[in-house]
Amino acid sequence: MSRVATRSAFATFRDQYAELMRSAFLIDLQYRASIAIWLLWGITEPIISLGIWWSIAAGGAVDGYTREDFARYFFGVALVNQATLSWDAWNIDRWIREGEMNFRLTRPIAPIHEAIADNIAYKAPTAVIILTAWIGAATFWPAVRIPFEPGRWALAIIAIVLAAAIRFLNGYATGLLAFWTTRATALVELQFGLSLFLSGRIAPLSLLPPQVVRAAEYLWFPYVLSFPVEVLTGTVTTGGQYARGFGGQAIWLAIWLLLYLLVWTRGRRRYGAVGG
Amino acid sequence: MPTAIVATGLSKTYDVKVRDPGIRGALAALARPRYRQVRAVDDVSFAIERGDAVAFLGPNGAGKTTTLKMLTGLLYPSAGRAEVAGCNPWTGGNAFRRRIAFVLGNKQQLLWDLPPEETFRLNRAIYGVSAADYTTRRAELVELLVLGDLIDKPARQLSLGERMKCELAAALLHQPEVLFLDEPTLGLDLEAQQTIRTFLGEYRRRHGATILLTSHYMADVTALASRVLIINRGRLLYDGELSELVARIAPIKRIELVLSETVSRARLEEYGTVAHYAPPRATLEVPRELATAASTRLLTDLEVADLSIQDPPIEEVIRIAFGETEHDVLAEPEPVARTDVRRAPP
Repeated sequence: MSRVATRSAFATFRDQYAELMRSAFLIDLQYRASIAIWLLWGITEPIISLGIWWSIAAGGAVDGYTREDFARYFFGVALVNQATLSWDAWNIDRWIREGEMNFRLTRPIAPIHEAIADNIAYKAPTAVIILTAWIGAATFWPAVRIPFEPGRWALAIIAIVLAAAIRFLNGYATGLLAFWTTRATALVELQFGLSLFLSGRIAPLSLLPPQVVRAAEYLWFPYVLSFPVEVLTGTVTTGGQYARGFGGQAIWLAIWLLLYLLVWTRGRRRYGAVGG
Repeated sequence: MPTAIVATGLSKTYDVKVRDPGIRGALAALARPRYRQVRAVDDVSFAIERGDAVAFLGPNGAGKTTTLKMLTGLLYPSAGRAEVAGCNPWTGGNAFRRRIAFVLGNKQQLLWDLPPEETFRLNRAIYGVSAADYTTRRAELVELLVLGDLIDKPARQLSLGERMKCELAAALLHQPEVLFLDEPTLGLDLEAQQTIRTFLGEYRRRHGATILLTSHYMADVTALASRVLIINRGRLLYDGELSELVARIAPIKRIELVLSETVSRARLEEYGTVAHYAPPRATLEVPRELATAASTRLLTDLEVADLSIQDPPIEEVIRIAFGETEHDVLAEPEPVARTDVRRAPP
């Protein structure tokens, strides 16, 4: 009896996710022109960074990075960044400010699942587009080719999924601060500014001053971009590097999950106390 | 008959930041925030039997929506208890949420960019409605609400009335035991209001759903509910039969006039009590049964540019119903029941 009940609860949950993803995908289709622009905007930044490093490395390798290394690195950044984006804080801010949180709180599913489904529905197709463009580029530009190592690719996929989860929970939990303040999205923007340097978006981390790298290692930023990119491009090689990277991801995933749970339960209570 | 909603001593007090005007006031509020306690709902108790339709009446800011938000579990009460569909709204979790629906007239849950059909599909999954039930219920709702091809048009292209009909359908697919409606006819034209009233009555008759609705419109109440709760300034002032309430209030209608000629106040007094006189506009109060005759006479005798017959507004009904004792309370401009000022805890 209980086994049947468990299975049907699971089936309901799966059904809920399928429909949430379906409607999110259909909405995305309505906004396909905007999405194309966001995609272009998203790859512009790594392309500009690549252009700069490409000319800097004209005279030879920079700290061990050749022009080809930079090309692979920034193609990796474009892909991983697209797959790990986080915009949820702006949604939550609107839900709370405009009273759209109310009906979400009276439905028998926590609002976070809607956000997760929305993320999957947006990121899976757009990441495939970037990947296709990468493969297309690799056919006539050997510099951006990545060696065929299925084991490494599988690890890269795991690292990207973990990175997406950390960035998602980070953005979602910060967004939930909208229960208390109208400035939650400003905090997200601040983190975005820091992440430009600390996650390796504008340069591989190893090229930054050692003090900055040391500071970054105490935060989650390197684990959400730099690490997955380096797994993908082959910079991460030793067992120790893998262990440190995945270990860091596991720790930060746990921390942001706990922070989310804390902010959600407290925020829900506060919302219940003061309303929207 | 089992009880669908029980509220016992429900109260809700908010802390509202008080701030003196100007930059000085803003800075002072930053340094030493002061709070004023606003009692939005004050010791409200009532019980509603399963299958009943009850209207919650009161002016803006009376505490109707706050009470509904407490009963649906959105807000926690400062004091008091409640039981809705056999559950505690604040601890009942998803089992509770599957038994209720909350429709807010001024907010929407329809997916804005997609046809309502997509919201229906989504709600089917979210509420775990079986495929067979979904097919039957969807067909019934489409028929009763005359949705036709509305459900295939993107929600953003629907009129307010069409959208409200689809909102109701989306909210009822899981066949909730208790339906909370906050101003379901707000801003709709008369025809759409009528459709929604007829639908709600029919739906309740068929499924025995309990309905608690708030409204500004007397017509919603007379069409749907036999019982009314009147709330003002957070306090429950009346709980009883609508017919009794009508008997208690002066059974009047208001005739609103726009005149094309100058008519003296004294002349208008021949047709009824002049409640408001600001030429070319005037409002007359006449006994309900004489309203039609008085209108005919007005149209024959005077040059009238516009004439409409209306029920007295809710505020007026409350004022009349509770006579002079409540009149003083209602006359105060402050929209809250009680206030006191205290320093913020450190």
